Amino acid sequence: MSGTPSIEIDGLCVAYGDAVAVDRVAFSIQQGELATLLGPSGCGKTTTLRAIAGLEDPTTGVIRLNGDTVFDSARRINVPAERRGLSMVFQSYAIWPHMTVAENVAYGLKVRRRPRAEIDSNVKRALDLVQMSAFGDRPASKLSGGQQQRVAVARAIAFSPSVLLFDEPLSNLDAKLRTEMRVELRELQQRLEITSVYVTHDQEEALAISDHVIVMNQGRIEQIDAPEVLYNRPASLFVADFVGAANLIEGTVRQTGPVSVFETRGGQVLRVATPRSVTGSETILALRSSHVSLQTEPSAAAGDANVATGTVHRRMFHGDFVQYVIDWPAGQLLVRRPPTEMIAEGAAVSIMFLPEHCVLLGR
Amino acid sequence: MVLVLLPCAALVLYPLVFIISESLNVGDPGVFPPEIISLSNFARLKDDVPIILNTLYVSVAATAMAVVFGFVLAWILTRTNVPGGGRFERLMELPYYMTPLVGAMAWGVLAGPKTGLLNQVWHLTGATGDLFNIYSPLGIAWVMALFEGTVAFVMISAAMKSMDPSLEESARVLGGSKLRTAFGITLPLVAPGVLSAIVFVFAEMLGAFAAAFVLGIPGRFYVITTAIWESTQSFPPDYGTAAALGLSLFLAMTVTLTIARLIMRKGTYATITGKAFRPRPVNVGAGRWLCLAVVMAYLLVAVILPIGALLMTSFQKFATVILAQSIFTLDNYRTALATGTLGSAFVNSMILGVSVATIGVLVMGVLTWIIYRSRLPGRTAIEYVLMFPQAVPRLVFGLGLLWAWINIPIPIYGTLWLLGIAYFTVFLPLGLRTLAGVVLQVDRSLEECACVCGAGWMHRMRTVSLPLLRPGIAAAWLLIFIASIRELGASIFLMGPQSKVISPAIINAWLSASSELSAAMAMLLTATIFIAVIVLFGVARTFVRTDA
Repeated sequence: MSGTPSIEIDGLCVAYGDAVAVDRVAFSIQQGELATLLGPSGCGKTTTLRAIAGLEDPTTGVIRLNGDTVFDSARRINVPAERRGLSMVFQSYAIWPHMTVAENVAYGLKVRRRPRAEIDSNVKRALDLVQMSAFGDRPASKLSGGQQQRVAVARAIAFSPSVLLFDEPLSNLDAKLRTEMRVELRELQQRLEITSVYVTHDQEEALAISDHVIVMNQGRIEQIDAPEVLYNRPASLFVADFVGAANLIEGTVRQTGPVSVFETRGGQVLRVATPRSVTGSETILALRSSHVSLQTEPSAAAGDANVATGTVHRRMFHGDFVQYVIDWPAGQLLVRRPPTEMIAEGAAVSIMFLPEHCVLLGR
Repeated sequence: MVLVLLPCAALVLYPLVFIISESLNVGDPGVFPPEIISLSNFARLKDDVPIILNTLYVSVAATAMAVVFGFVLAWILTRTNVPGGGRFERLMELPYYMTPLVGAMAWGVLAGPKTGLLNQVWHLTGATGDLFNIYSPLGIAWVMALFEGTVAFVMISAAMKSMDPSLEESARVLGGSKLRTAFGITLPLVAPGVLSAIVFVFAEMLGAFAAAFVLGIPGRFYVITTAIWESTQSFPPDYGTAAALGLSLFLAMTVTLTIARLIMRKGTYATITGKAFRPRPVNVGAGRWLCLAVVMAYLLVAVILPIGALLMTSFQKFATVILAQSIFTLDNYRTALATGTLGSAFVNSMILGVSVATIGVLVMGVLTWIIYRSRLPGRTAIEYVLMFPQAVPRLVFGLGLLWAWINIPIPIYGTLWLLGIAYFTVFLPLGLRTLAGVVLQVDRSLEECACVCGAGWMHRMRTVSLPLLRPGIAAAWLLIFIASIRELGASIFLMGPQSKVISPAIINAWLSASSELSAAMAMLLTATIFIAVIVLFGVARTFVRTDA
């Protein structure tokens, strides 16, 4: 999609005294997209989200929603939260306990003085979308966590906002409900084509539901990319470590080119094929644990794949996958394999992975 | 915001300026600023060493009793399987609401020499001499411990309740016996809470007035507060000494309260997580009936006996109750409610209570919002200033207010206006603390969500903030109302002939030796307070419910 992005952030800084929570953050999100702000706690993701909502006053920067400037420190523009026309789902759900479910959902519409009939039909539609229509007359204080979550979503979409913000909406739910709600939220967002910003510290959740993931660390953006690019081609050591399970192997670059050569500390020589240019100063090779395959019988060198030998040091059965710790010349290697391949502890294995799955990173 | 903050800060600080200047004034006590300044008022304090020793003696004894009562009751009610359990908890606060003044008079009736009801019963058994003379230093301490020391129970049971039960359970799992767990784990963990309760109660006792006044003055036994009062009543009034004594007392209380706060902040381990635990009660077996007996005994001496004694006295025709020959009458209540000066004292107190509570909740609500929700620079300093009256003994504060407002060319001295202003000022800490607790309980995101939904400030207040805060606001209103109608220390200096209020009026009746009339007035006061307390507890219960 082209045209004016729904959300544009430029040079955004939020500081409390000397403490800088958000440091020169810039990104834009296209209409109908869902972008995730991902990072460890204290990385500035929630502060960024709250600055978009107007609940936090940035020190400097520009925020534009659908082409309208809602914050600009240089031009002294700061539209208050209630007039930015966006909506938000809070981490605590923020369901008002003194109202019924329907009153909660109708709030944004009542504030906008919509006619009665429109309020009723929109509330019904919103509650239908989250499968809570049977609960309209319930006092909101009598809901379970998952139900409160649904009501919070219904309330946020009821007045058809142009932008929807999610502040760790699933973090208070148990694991099973979380994965279910994740699917529902994504379906809802795509059906309504509503531009969304989603904050989470759960990398799996971020990868699963986003069009783009914005990884933040210590107030700054580390990388913005589609989930699969982020996973396969982390741009920094932080991203490689924070997103997914990766082996970070230390060593030096011996040769640069379309296929570079990397020698690990233990003297293992590996081939790396990367679309990003290699400077030769990289000291880390990142390798996803699920990009490695193991075999018990010695394998014939398959094309240009990296092949090495090792022994199974430890095996842990996780159900959906089996995690191996392999002793090999470069130290220890974490490998995740499907539970259909079981290798005994102590067995000798041959290790294989492709050069295009290796990523070279600097410190 | 500045428009609200500055006047309130001035209300607190202005009277203190007068106390300081008066304590240095050795010239004409009625002239401000003082013409001759010297420290001789403080130098003369060495003559008051016996009074200071009296104060320490009574305060230490009262603190010791209050903390022992508080600890035992808190342990029984929070940690054992006593029959009735938590239902007794709120009843334990009743003595505090009954006020030390009413408690002291009641115990005067119960255990006065010779004619005290308990002593009369003692004589019936054939014994000679008195069982107990309440008009003694230990008697004063006993009354103070019962009616002023409730805070010890509240603080200690809060410490016991806030303890994560898993801390004890892990000691048990690791092989510690019940006793070993109690001494090795439980006690050290509640120790900071108990310690800060001791210091806090001690500060409270230093500034206590009513019990020492009712029970000490007849035997010419003075503590600092009663000495301050006495020196203002002499002719000519010795305001210099009063101010010097008052300032010293204020400093002593400030130091002790600071220590209490430091213990609380530094000494508490991670037990206070803000989560309300209900620790698993210890099964004490048949001992639970003993525990119940202890609780009942406490309620007997602190609530039932005093109220019974006063009730009986209030129906008597003659001051002294001789059990064998009493004549019952309703005259005392008729006099108390008649539209004379006494009747108007009751009405005045009600007017003051309602208006101070109403205006107070409004203004203090704004103050609370500024202190806890805005980002105004220096708001912690503001909080500190507004919490100041907490450390100033009421009596001393009343004295400062008296001088402050006499020296202002607004003719409100001797009117209810002055009393209203005084009440508002001294109840700032109470109101702010109650409202802050309420505001902090309501999650900020509830308001933010309304904001994001498009509601402006007014709409947000009307539809979200105020409805959520309503029970807490009602509780604050009731607490200020109760505090107002029972106020004694500040009122005793500030009330004029045209602006009598109930507590000092009770004292006046008591001093003019009509204990049956003061008993009737005390019963009216107590009944009013109890009604307010019942409403308060009801409101508190609904608040807990909406919270969950």
